[in-house]
Amino acid sequence: MKLAVLFGGASFEHEISIVSAITIKSKLESFDLDFIFCDTDHKFYYIKDTKMKADTFSKKEYKKMPVLLLQEGGFLKQALLKKEVVSATVLNLIHGADGEDGVIASMLDFYKIPFIGPRTPACVFSFNKLYTKYFSQGLGIKSMPFEVLHKTDIRDVSTPLPFIIKPASLGSSIGVSIVKQQEELDYALDVAFEFDSCVIIEPFVKDIKEYNLAGCMIDDKIQYSIIEEPHKNEFLDFDKKYMDFSRSSTVLKAEIDSPLEVKIKDTFAKIYTHMFEGALIRCDFFVMGGEIYLNEINPIPGSMANYLFDDFSMVISGLAHSLPVKKQITCKYEYIHSLSSAKGK
Amino acid sequence: MALTTVVYGAHEFDISYEILNPHAKVNLIILHGWGSNKEIMKQAFGQSLQNCRHIYIDLPGFGNSTCNAVLTTSDYAEIINAFCAKNKISKDVVVGHSFGGKVALLLKPLKLVLLSSAGIYLQKSFKVKTKIKIFKIFKNLGLIRFRKFFIADDAKQLSSCMYETFKNVVNEDFSLYFKRYKSKALICWGKDDTATPLVCGKSIHRMIKGSKFIVFEGDHFFFLNHSKEISSSIEELCAGELN
Repeated sequence: MKLAVLFGGASFEHEISIVSAITIKSKLESFDLDFIFCDTDHKFYYIKDTKMKADTFSKKEYKKMPVLLLQEGGFLKQALLKKEVVSATVLNLIHGADGEDGVIASMLDFYKIPFIGPRTPACVFSFNKLYTKYFSQGLGIKSMPFEVLHKTDIRDVSTPLPFIIKPASLGSSIGVSIVKQQEELDYALDVAFEFDSCVIIEPFVKDIKEYNLAGCMIDDKIQYSIIEEPHKNEFLDFDKKYMDFSRSSTVLKAEIDSPLEVKIKDTFAKIYTHMFEGALIRCDFFVMGGEIYLNEINPIPGSMANYLFDDFSMVISGLAHSLPVKKQITCKYEYIHSLSSAKGK
Repeated sequence: MALTTVVYGAHEFDISYEILNPHAKVNLIILHGWGSNKEIMKQAFGQSLQNCRHIYIDLPGFGNSTCNAVLTTSDYAEIINAFCAKNKISKDVVVGHSFGGKVALLLKPLKLVLLSSAGIYLQKSFKVKTKIKIFKIFKNLGLIRFRKFFIADDAKQLSSCMYETFKNVVNEDFSLYFKRYKSKALICWGKDDTATPLVCGKSIHRMIKGSKFIVFEGDHFFFLNHSKEISSSIEELCAGELN
């Protein structure tokens, strides 16, 4: 099947997205893949699959490749004498800003380009950790207690030590630190504020049980991945989270009893349904005292969490055929006509 | 990395910095040169001197630090002073490369490490003098767009405000400040440096009494290949205070 992988973006996770796309290429070998790169200036380039190497981007060779323009239904490739439309379903693989904040979703919707990825409202609730809290509260799903601090606020933190500081709107572990002593607070806040003017502070619970589950809706049924218990060194830092995402099926299924498994899957379904249709998402949960807490929602997980699925290709092709359809608006100008006729014109 | 806002005069500067070994006692502040940034310095020293608390700073207008004012070298020093005061960082050892060397000197640290420091005024070569004269003729003829063929590499692609700053800080004579510096100093230089030639290093060594001078193979960025030797010299400079 045909699929156009869209990656890059003006995001702190730009390079992660490149690595993600290169990984996906090897995981979807049976697909007919096109690669569309979005640079940090928001220009689109068509990248030949033989050029899908880290060097192409780090050495800026992509600038020599065909520029793509948006038009209704797809990306337009302009060669010297002919115009060609890349008309495949798009796989939105831009992590962080642009990809997960709703910008790309809105753009693709606007140009009527079918795509795998979170829709605009889903982005709004998952990109900003504060809104994810509101979302889970609305659904009656537990999440860790938290406080919010803005860049210009007085640095009074009431959460008891140790706590964890996270920039509110960053998809990965960038800018995250654990504060164990009061003296570490200022630096940890400066680190987080480099990336975002708003941070979330949560209690840090050592050795808390963490479980990740990915899934997507195919033919009105959620297809779940295995539940993974990530190995973590206190918390997954940037390097660990991303450098190992080409890992194969060596990920071990978490050793949990089936009632807990059911509970985690039900929570996932509650989060996913009527919000994340069209996307393959990964939810990270904490389990404490038998209760499930939502930690975060990754609406575009690194390399689409392929390592959590037995048959990743099947999941992606299934999802590509189950994309939500946007209601078409047509306007017959009846209202204006009725006004005109009332005036007798 | 981290970001903090420093207020200096009527302006606010977002200063990007990074701290390594946060629990070590002796502070090692590391300043980059003109057109460079803290990552290059971290690349050189990030793995060594583990018993020091490293503070890598992007100077205003470079790396991820902002600058929307025209500054002088002493403004730079005052901004770094304000940064240190805000973050309660004592100036135990300050390392400065090139332009960062001049800023380091003005910070009056307990121990100063200069890597190919700027601050010695050299007569302009015949070539440069001629270039300036020719450009001035062009300028008077209204051919200002030829500027790009004459401008120094260091000044290319600078915002107008950073270009003004560049004009402020280039070609400064810091001899007096070097002579006034009375604490311990280590001066390291690249033998084949063309940006700040070896003679500058020799002069600075003469001006700072009791300073140690080491010449390495390499150019203006010699320290990237000699960080181990430089680090052990810094340890010597601190004479046991690090343990």
